Amino acid sequence: MSRVVLVLRKDLLVLWRSPLLLTLLILYPLLVAGLVGAVAGYGSSKPRVALVDEDHLPAVARIGGREFRVADAIDEVGKNVHLVRMSAGEAARQLRAGRVVATLTVPAGFLDELRSGLTSPRLVYQTTRGGISSRVTQQLQALVYSLDRRLQEAFVKTDLHYVQLIQHGGSATFGGKTYDVLGLDRMHDLLVQLPKSPQRDRVAEFARIASVALGQTGNLLASTASPITLERASEKSRSSLLSAQVQAYALALTITFLALLLAAGALAAERDENAIGRLARGLVSLGELVWAKVALAAVVALALGLAIAVVFGVIVEAGGVVGGEPWGRLPLLAVGLALAGASLGALGALLGALAREARTASLVAVLVVMPIVFLGLVPKQVAPVAGWISDALPFTHAVRYFSSSLYDTRPWGTVARELGWLAGLGAIFGAAARVATRRLLA
Amino acid sequence: MSAPEPFLRARGVARRFGAQLALEPTDLDVCSGETIALIGPNGAGKSTLLSILAGSLEPSAGAVERVNDVRVGWVPQRPSLYDRLSARENLELFARLEGEERPAVAAQGLLSTFDLPGDRPSASLSVGNRQRLNVAIALLGAPRVLLLDEPTASLDPGQRRRLWEMVREGTVVFSTQNLEEIGLYASRVVVLQRGRVTFDGPVDEYDRVHAAEVFT
Repeated sequence: MSRVVLVLRKDLLVLWRSPLLLTLLILYPLLVAGLVGAVAGYGSSKPRVALVDEDHLPAVARIGGREFRVADAIDEVGKNVHLVRMSAGEAARQLRAGRVVATLTVPAGFLDELRSGLTSPRLVYQTTRGGISSRVTQQLQALVYSLDRRLQEAFVKTDLHYVQLIQHGGSATFGGKTYDVLGLDRMHDLLVQLPKSPQRDRVAEFARIASVALGQTGNLLASTASPITLERASEKSRSSLLSAQVQAYALALTITFLALLLAAGALAAERDENAIGRLARGLVSLGELVWAKVALAAVVALALGLAIAVVFGVIVEAGGVVGGEPWGRLPLLAVGLALAGASLGALGALLGALAREARTASLVAVLVVMPIVFLGLVPKQVAPVAGWISDALPFTHAVRYFSSSLYDTRPWGTVARELGWLAGLGAIFGAAARVATRRLLA
Repeated sequence: MSAPEPFLRARGVARRFGAQLALEPTDLDVCSGETIALIGPNGAGKSTLLSILAGSLEPSAGAVERVNDVRVGWVPQRPSLYDRLSARENLELFARLEGEERPAVAAQGLLSTFDLPGDRPSASLSVGNRQRLNVAIALLGAPRVLLLDEPTASLDPGQRRRLWEMVREGTVVFSTQNLEEIGLYASRVVVLQRGRVTFDGPVDEYDRVHAAEVFT
């Protein structure tokens, strides 16, 4: 049995006999992944917006002959933002304090102006700078758009009623008085009863054509009000929690934490237990010792990564979600898990050699994990420097590999490129760890 | 009569830790059948010299030749073993690394010889048992030279006697601050002071009065 395997077997046995450590090593990254997910979820949660109702909107308002439930409109916008009613002064105070991200004011006279149809009433919107203000602006724009759509429908119906009155005739009420309107159709019927003449025929023909043309007005008005209608198709799809990206991040975060901590701690422990001096006298070379720690990280990353992928797969299956199930891609994922674990293990071994003591090594590894992970989360477009640094670390490549191997229709190009990165980084960190391990003998 | 063939030949070995010179260039031959006592005050360079002879520490200068690739057993001052493994597992692991053909048999033999409990985690062993396990591991692979760094420092008189009964066969180099052990077990004495060899000769040429001065 090779010496690397002997040391690896010893390390696995030692790990197996540390159930608390093993449990923490598994649970901690999953907990962190969950918290990161929760924080990410908070980013898309409802922002708090102050609603200042200076017009004292009634529960039900009649506009354009239709009844509008104001509460329903507020509920509609409440799907995206959390609207909180408050006075103008309180809203201004909370906006300054950052307790609300925006204020939406309904000015006095808003409803009367809206009912008159003579001018467009205004809602006044004020927001903080930066942060999620642009998202809130979009949501309030969507609210106004939604209200406009409803009002358009009401106004179009009212307009159509008048058009139909002109077309067919009938009774109508204006300013409290009821009128009998002749209408084009009845006008045509009366005209044809008059003595025939070119003038009568011309007027009758006009009445007929006008009536036909007005018959098309309904569709024209509707299409003018909404040139494009967006319809949301209902389809079974992944929730954000089960998205490919979240799964890839959860896998990468877990094995990053495990591999760094295990390799760093295991290598430094050889010095703590005073075993490295015995091993280094020809029993196990320093290179083999580093290899053993890299292999330890790879084996544990492979085992735990596959377990996580299987759990995800079962949840996805149970949810009846189609697309991207990991079963067929498990072998490809396994290759990536092992290589990513090895690459991260080499980095961990380097940390362990530099730290020299197991406790220091573990602390350093924990401190290093978070920046590595968060650097990988920063979009390159936002901070190019973070992107470059992240490219020089295995985490980002692991995320890309996992995402592609699990969900891309044609993953081979990405997989090959990221494997190259992981192998290259692993070789560099491994070589550096081999040199640094000499410090453990001093 | 020709001089015995040395098993280990150190030539000009020196060791520096940063700016500090722990061992000045030193020559030392370890010959077959010798029991060499390496004495000197704390920080004199005894552990450094033994570590270099054992091959667990690289010298900053000079070299150690192992004549005919002689096997060397190494007992560091602080036990070198894995706490979460049992004595048996420690012995079997190092037996495999030493290339023992039957590691389980070798481990069982040493457990019996040293009267060690085989299946308890090493961390739970007494100080004396840990040190005996430390020595037992060094005996794997049938070394012809045994290097011991203050092997009896943490042992009571009874444990010391039993330990010496187990290791005094063959060629031994040991460091000690116990002057009594010199007279009892050593055939040759090497005195180290401030990283330099100040005496190297047969035990009967060594003056105990001077030895006392070494530690003052």
